[in-house]
Amino acid sequence: MNRRIAIRNMALVLASAAVLPSCLNNDKGKPVVQLKHLKINADQENLVSNVAETILPKTNTPGAKELGINLFIFKMLDDCNTKQQQETFLAGLDEFDDAVKKQYGHSFNDCSQQERTAFISSMEKPKPENGKKDEPAKSAVFYNMVKGLTVFGYTTSQYFMTKQVVYELVPGRYNAWFPVKKQAV
Amino acid sequence: MANLNIDSVKSRTFDAIVIGSGMSGGWAAKELTGKGLKTLVLERGRDVKHLKDYPTTNLYPWEFPHHGVIPTEVQEANPIVNRCYAFGEDAAHFFVKDKEHPYVQEKPFDWIRGYQVGGKSLLWARQTQRWSDFDFEGPARDGFAVDWPIRYSDLAPWYSYVEKFAGISGNRDGIAELPDGEFLPAFPLNAVEDYFSKHVKKSYQNRHVISARCAHLSKPNPIHLEQGRGQCQERNLCQRGCPFGGYFSANSSTIPWALKSGLCTLRPFSVVESIIYDEKLGKATGVRIIDTNTKQAIEYFADVIFVNAAALNTNLVLLNSTSNRFPNGLGNDSGVLGKYVAFHNYSAHISAEYDGFKEWTTDGRNPAGGGYIPRFRNVYKQETNFLRGYAAGFSAYRRGTDNSDGIGQTLKDNLAKKELGNWGVGSHMMGETIPKESNYVTLDKSQKDQWGVPLLKISVDYDDNDEKMKKDYIEQMTEMFTSAGFKNIRAESDHRAPGLDIHEMGGVRMGNDPKTSMLDKWNRLHACKNVYVTDGASMTSTSCQNPSLTYMAMTARSVDHAVSEMKKGNI
Ligand SMILES: Cc1cc2nc3c(=O)[nH]c(=O)nc-3n(C[C@H](O)[C@H](O)[C@H](O)COP(=O)(O)OP(=O)(O)OC[C@H]3O[C@@H](n4cnc5c(N)ncnc54)[C@H](O)[C@@H]3O)c2cc1C
Ligand code: SF4
Repeated sequence: MNRRIAIRNMALVLASAAVLPSCLNNDKGKPVVQLKHLKINADQENLVSNVAETILPKTNTPGAKELGINLFIFKMLDDCNTKQQQETFLAGLDEFDDAVKKQYGHSFNDCSQQERTAFISSMEKPKPENGKKDEPAKSAVFYNMVKGLTVFGYTTSQYFMTKQVVYELVPGRYNAWFPVKKQAV
Repeated sequence: MANLNIDSVKSRTFDAIVIGSGMSGGWAAKELTGKGLKTLVLERGRDVKHLKDYPTTNLYPWEFPHHGVIPTEVQEANPIVNRCYAFGEDAAHFFVKDKEHPYVQEKPFDWIRGYQVGGKSLLWARQTQRWSDFDFEGPARDGFAVDWPIRYSDLAPWYSYVEKFAGISGNRDGIAELPDGEFLPAFPLNAVEDYFSKHVKKSYQNRHVISARCAHLSKPNPIHLEQGRGQCQERNLCQRGCPFGGYFSANSSTIPWALKSGLCTLRPFSVVESIIYDEKLGKATGVRIIDTNTKQAIEYFADVIFVNAAALNTNLVLLNSTSNRFPNGLGNDSGVLGKYVAFHNYSAHISAEYDGFKEWTTDGRNPAGGGYIPRFRNVYKQETNFLRGYAAGFSAYRRGTDNSDGIGQTLKDNLAKKELGNWGVGSHMMGETIPKESNYVTLDKSQKDQWGVPLLKISVDYDDNDEKMKKDYIEQMTEMFTSAGFKNIRAESDHRAPGLDIHEMGGVRMGNDPKTSMLDKWNRLHACKNVYVTDGASMTSTSCQNPSLTYMAMTARSVDHAVSEMKKGNI
């Protein structure tokens, strides 16, 4: 087969690809994202989006929300986690927000940017709870799930794979011996 | 009325019928039509046309709803196929889902299947090695199964024949236990693979690490261009179906070739229920199918029938083809039909790191996957406490460090910064298992599928020989890795069920003696000379090389025989 035809076929398929769940409505209290299994309210949804945005904020490059990674997180949680993992996630979310309230007197959603960054930074180095080393706190499990999905969503996003690193669908080459100096990254 | 019926029978009569349109059935179709026979190819699944029916082939990772991950609901509903490494969001549509086609596991057996035009040839990892005399002489030398009725020399010209058309890349390595073939240029070993290859050559007698041989067009010949296929673009997304026809599949190669002849009728949605045996004529006259859309039973007729439904389904079809003459399944005078099923054992692997060759990396992707270590145990003589041996994959890769520490700009920087770490190396075993009477398939007495065909009952297990072989693989590879200076060696054995290696074979074995085997040296039933079985079901023993190239060669050889018998009036 001739390569040009293949590339044309490729363009056809690309044009019809659907990516992420759509934002449907914006009623207060009702989540924006339509989920099949995971039951969350608007506050919880915002919290997760805000955590993701704090992990991956908009700087001079796009952040989690702009890239739709918050929506991707919900899609993955909803579709690619077991019921048990989802329950752990929700329990951890509550514990996470309780800890925030204890520290700042208000919910993560009402935190200033500074408070959010400070709290998330503290989550980055989880301390073993009450000496119990093998069972991490639920809030830490929740945080790690959000972080893991944020990183996964980001590193497999179109933005990252075209602008930060270059993913090639068709390399058209295999150089078995390639000098490291020549490596672009 | 009578006339109408005759017309209808006429329209359902062909010179040849092929059951199954996958790796081996595609070859039967191509060869039969190539020799001028009007051929009907029956396929239980849907049609998959090259290019047109590869829905994911050009999707970027972010274009998959879950970026490649299979949703939990699908995973939980499909515990069996979910264990296959290639069952991802990109290729799931080419795999049989557990509930669609149930079977009975008398012992755990992960039966991985692809029911569509092309069968599993769309999904395979494309590793292709010839078997050698060490394989064909194995049962006689080591005293198991029965003697093969053929030797390497019977198959060698047919290997050449199919290799030239399919396109196999590799080096001429001059290794007796892994005969050379008609090769396109090999995909070269990288720095650390090459280093290990030299190390092994220097340190061990008769051990080799070579470029893996694979069914990719590294440099197409005119015959490949004529098939409408082009040079492999090193995408390594092959299991989605390749828009370049870069690797061999029935869909890109043999089936369109057969169709182009004008002599081939391809009938998807046709489950072959049984082969019809005519007692007066003393031969098979056709097959009975169930149309999966209409559930209608239809009979088709032909002078010669090729059974290529993939090993276990071929057993099923023959077991279900009963008559007064053959109450226990077509051609089953010996009583061995369904028995001596064997498989490959891939259940051990090893990984490590190497901190040399920091100045080298790789660029692009290697569709061959790296290196191949041909069997080196018990080759020239029996030297261990287990029978036969194993081959192994070997590959080295250099990955960027995966740093997701921190948050904010730090995290973004860490993720974007790809510093190259050490080389990683890995290997997995590919062991031969011994065919035994106690490893068998039968038909379930009560349960039937949606077309009224009995469910297949599978009773296949590992044995002590497999355990010893696995232990030896881990020991030998650990030693070879250690002496090569690899660090952080981690050898593991997993507890997978048989079947997951997707190289199930036997049940309709070849042999010289009709009392102990089903097929003669031409792959036709001893007791029903116009029925040929040329897929994995016919294998007397399993070798440790990948099997599919051998199915292709056997198929081409058998068609040649069948057609010459027809010309002589013997069929
Ligand atoms: C992920 C994966 C990796 C693999 N890697 C390799 C490899 O590297 N090297 C290698 O040599 N092999 C490999 N294999 C195995 C290889 O795919 C098979 O050996 C090969 O496809 C078998 O050819 P076949 O013609 O017997 O069966 P198939 O290719 O499976 O074709 C059989 C066809 O028959 C049809 N059929 C079944 N029953 C009926 C019926 N009753 N009526 C009508 N039609 C029927 C099926 O739908 C199917 O289309 C791999 C397989 C998989 C899935
Ligand atoms: S590696 Fe070659 S055969 Fe596989 S998808 Fe790519 S171009 Fe096609």
